[in-house]
Amino acid sequence: MRRPTKSCPFCESRVRWVDYKDDRTLGRFITDQGKILPSRLSGVCARHQRQLATAIKRARFLALIPYIRGHQA
Amino acid sequence: MRCPLLRQPVGFKLQLLTTAAIAAFTPSSCFGNQREAVYDQKEDCRVPRTYEAVYIFDSTLEDAAISDKIKRFHGLLAAKEQPEVAHWGRRQLAYSIGAKDNGYYVVSKFATEPASLPEYERALKLDDGVIRYLITLHEHEVGAPPQSEEDLAAATRRDDDDDDED
Repeated sequence: MRRPTKSCPFCESRVRWVDYKDDRTLGRFITDQGKILPSRLSGVCARHQRQLATAIKRARFLALIPYIRGHQA
Repeated sequence: MRCPLLRQPVGFKLQLLTTAAIAAFTPSSCFGNQREAVYDQKEDCRVPRTYEAVYIFDSTLEDAAISDKIKRFHGLLAAKEQPEVAHWGRRQLAYSIGAKDNGYYVVSKFATEPASLPEYERALKLDDGVIRYLITLHEHEVGAPPQSEEDLAAATRRDDDDDDED
């Protein structure tokens, strides 16, 4: 049974490198908890998924996106 | 052999050396740096590379003080070209860092030799006004052409092939 093909949103918009400073874009690829969304759900290609994971981790360190959403310290 | 002593004629060596001088030449000084000629890692540190740094300053600092600090940090880099500095201004942090909920974000891009980075990073680390900083290599983004139609078509075809294998 063939899965319906999902096209990579980064390839479609001709993004060469995923930017860790673009928190609005990165926010689309994390779950409600703040986890990195798997590529099988988002359709991101392997190359961009690797870049995305690094970018999300950098953005978390810079407090642009949370490590855990809704966490009260 | 690298030991300067062994390059001399043996008779000459015996003439010159007293027992005290022999004791001063420990085996480590004679044979310790045999690998030196193979690869000089320091040579790599002299090639300039492009970096991008993001600083989060304490939002209670005044703008003039922040500009002064940035100028001081960039002075340590000894970059030939003036660094590009973009002020994002005051933003709310996604989570509190220490007791701070807000920060003043500044992004800068510069080209410098890797050898000058440790001193610069040390200054950032010791500064109380900097809540957090991140220095990353920026080289891959320079001159990367946008994907052409053929690239995109090839990538799509490859994706389709992958799916067929499932």
